[in-house]
Amino acid sequence: MKPLKLSVSGVRGIVGQAITPELIINFASAFGTMVPAGPVLVGRDSRNSSPMLTDGVISALLATGHEVIDLGLCPTPITQFLVKNKGARGAVSVTAGHNPASWNALNFINSQGTYLNEFQGQELLDIYHLGRFKQLALKKTPKIIRELNPEEPYLEWLLGRLDLPPIKRAKFRIVVDPTNGAASKLIDKLFDLLGVQLIAINNEGNGYFPHDPEPRPRNAIEVSSLVKITTADIGFLLNSDASRLSLVSEDGETLSEEYTLPLIARYYLKKQPGPVVTNLSTSMMIDQVAREQNLPVIRTRVGQSAIIQAMLEEKASLAGEGSGGLAFDYFQPAFDALVTMALYLEMMAVEGEKLSTLVKRLPRYHIVKDSLVCPAYRLHTLVAEVKKLYKGLEINQLDGLRLEKKDLWVHVRASTTEPLIRVIAESTSQHRAQMEVDRVMAYLRRLTA
Amino acid sequence: MRKILPLKVSVSGVRGIVGESLTPQLAARFVSAFGTYLGQGQVLVGQDSRPSGLMLKKAVMAGLLATGCQPVEVGLLPLPTILFLTKKRQARGAVVITASHNPFNWNGLKFIGQDGLYLRSSEVEEFLDIFHQGEFTYVPAERIKPVLSEKEAGYLHLRRIFSQIKVKEIKKKKFRLVADCANGAGATLLPRFLQELGAEVRFINTELSGKFAHQSEPTPENLKELGHEVRAFQADLGLAQDADADRLALVDEQGQPLGEDATLTLSVDHVLSRKKGPVVVNLSSSMVIEDIARKYGVRVYRTKIGESNVVEKMLETRAVVGGEGNGGVIWPAVHPCRDSFTAAGLILEKLSSFPGSISQLMATYPRYYLLKDKFDCPAELAFKVVTELRRRYQQENISTLDGLKIIWGEAWVHLRPSNTEPIMRVIAEARSPEKARELLERFKGEIEQILKQMS
Repeated sequence: MKPLKLSVSGVRGIVGQAITPELIINFASAFGTMVPAGPVLVGRDSRNSSPMLTDGVISALLATGHEVIDLGLCPTPITQFLVKNKGARGAVSVTAGHNPASWNALNFINSQGTYLNEFQGQELLDIYHLGRFKQLALKKTPKIIRELNPEEPYLEWLLGRLDLPPIKRAKFRIVVDPTNGAASKLIDKLFDLLGVQLIAINNEGNGYFPHDPEPRPRNAIEVSSLVKITTADIGFLLNSDASRLSLVSEDGETLSEEYTLPLIARYYLKKQPGPVVTNLSTSMMIDQVAREQNLPVIRTRVGQSAIIQAMLEEKASLAGEGSGGLAFDYFQPAFDALVTMALYLEMMAVEGEKLSTLVKRLPRYHIVKDSLVCPAYRLHTLVAEVKKLYKGLEINQLDGLRLEKKDLWVHVRASTTEPLIRVIAESTSQHRAQMEVDRVMAYLRRLTA
Repeated sequence: MRKILPLKVSVSGVRGIVGESLTPQLAARFVSAFGTYLGQGQVLVGQDSRPSGLMLKKAVMAGLLATGCQPVEVGLLPLPTILFLTKKRQARGAVVITASHNPFNWNGLKFIGQDGLYLRSSEVEEFLDIFHQGEFTYVPAERIKPVLSEKEAGYLHLRRIFSQIKVKEIKKKKFRLVADCANGAGATLLPRFLQELGAEVRFINTELSGKFAHQSEPTPENLKELGHEVRAFQADLGLAQDADADRLALVDEQGQPLGEDATLTLSVDHVLSRKKGPVVVNLSSSMVIEDIARKYGVRVYRTKIGESNVVEKMLETRAVVGGEGNGGVIWPAVHPCRDSFTAAGLILEKLSSFPGSISQLMATYPRYYLLKDKFDCPAELAFKVVTELRRRYQQENISTLDGLKIIWGEAWVHLRPSNTEPIMRVIAEARSPEKARELLERFKGEIEQILKQMS
């Protein structure tokens, strides 16, 4: 079994198994065939395999008649920003975000700088499956423009949109772990411009992942101890392409990635009121924050593509997921951990509050997550079977099954990145959440036994 | 006449039309097969000046990286230079993105094995089996290696040649030369090479736009411009490289083409005058090689057509020099491959030791006349024609190593069905142009008659 996951916005798998040069060239050729002639950006994270994928992508884009702007090592949100900034037809970001080092992926970005929406994704797959790609005779040497400092226009734009004076006055000391990913070194520039004292670890951009590049408490232990030792104001942990973020409070508490969205929401929504988009698996904390300001919360399928599509359709102000990926309408419709970090500093500076105090203001929920390995071809049938457990209840089937009972919700869905069924429940009571997950897991295990 | 297919796979690699048959997918698949065949190690990546080279190079890189090889980019360099560097660097092999002299819209991949040698036919078979089975050994992410890049590597090749020839003697002569690089990769190194040999040189066709001013076959037609320039510049000698810079043709001081075999003749004579040893040439090379070998009392081995066949036999017999009559000189003292730089060095050294002009030097060799022709003949009939002629001429001195070669004292004729096209090639050599023409016509007539009988 070679796990290969196609999602609306890209293709993901283990390098050398599902991810081969030919597959990469075929997908990038489909993308090059789909987007109209003109420049296409290519950025990558720091993974060992990323130059291999990038070479395949560039050859396919050249063969389908595009001019390539090679951004080199570049976080996905910056690549997304540059699409419009450079008037490109689209972009390919080579990164598997939070997946382990053995994985990699192509993420396709449209001319608006957002992940392909479901219609564009469908068109891409149709072209891929049809296998008839545009082929140019290449009578002239096609152009590859190497962009040496792709982050500069982005940083200028970002700083122009922040409330800078309070951030500079606050003279923060922060700890950041970019997990040797695409944002390494670049954070030096960003926080220097913000007048922040930066203590960085895993800041080499060499693709060596000292822990899985997934921002979550179990990977934040180094950040936590450094925050305590250096008496820093906050700690940040990024994924490999700086699209997701998790936090460590000034007392060293490693906060669940579920906190990244609700903790900033109150401050940001006050400045930019509007609907909030999140997915079906994200904590109810955000509902409470939105309710305080009389703003609606719209829940969609899981994944950046679906979230951003809804954000644009609903003219939402804020969109984000419990995985720590956040998009701010005032900035750009893309999961952007660099914007998110800057906004956290702005909030702390303007409100003059410690992060731990802000955490205490949020209602305490308990979220319990579990998963069951299951053959890919049975994923969706098994998920549907779980309906039998909840006869008589109203079931949301937008993405697997989600249902709400008094003081509790549970979400059962097929993973889009691995052959897994995920079971998630949240409640004010740890016990009730755990009981519900256990009940579903026991039922699923009986079915697979 | 069979349609010419836009994709050709042969012993030296794959060629096709970009935008039609030669896609990045195909390139990546071939290179993945090659990387699998080689095993993990350094692999040089070179290219010629065609505009599609950049696109194909990216696909080649992806294929090499994914199979755990470490690509070493050497950029635009002559083919013999890349072969030399493959051995020098002790790389596992090399991939060169080139379609030699094919038209502009073509490109291709040449695969080179360990020690900077072309793959032998048995090795090619193994490599193509891997390609066709499609089971490639991709390495996990952590074993993917970083790309290396070598600038100025080409000079190592020149330095090697300089260490083997008498640079001082050549410099003293202050040769006046005209050099035609045929818009090929030779233009990247030939100026430096000839400059360091103290020559005053006028260069033509050195732009590397990927467009060729003329075909690189050394026919009188293609050497016209060079001949004209030689007269205008009052040069001692005209040098013409082919697109890959592995072959060299010569034009004398009067602007006259010296004939295809002159390059090999001069080189073989000169090498043997310095060091005696076996000589290896293919079946279609001139008999003058035997005359020269007799002078030094050394043995001549003849092989099937094809550079790799000559090289294989040279390594086996420890030959001191060898090559092909079409201007491909192989001097193992530099590297066992056809090399126009080596040939130019040897010929200039020879000329520097001769008290006269190049045409006077050529007049010291027995004169032979070589004529070539080809005609349509389907592959299945070609075999029967060869069998029938072999029966008719079995009393004569014949060789059936590659088609049929019949030798009579001071003349021979060689019939060879082409491997790539439905044609039969006929080559005849004799001491007079009339005799050569007569032989050619006689055999054409015989073949036509046999074909008529069979159909």
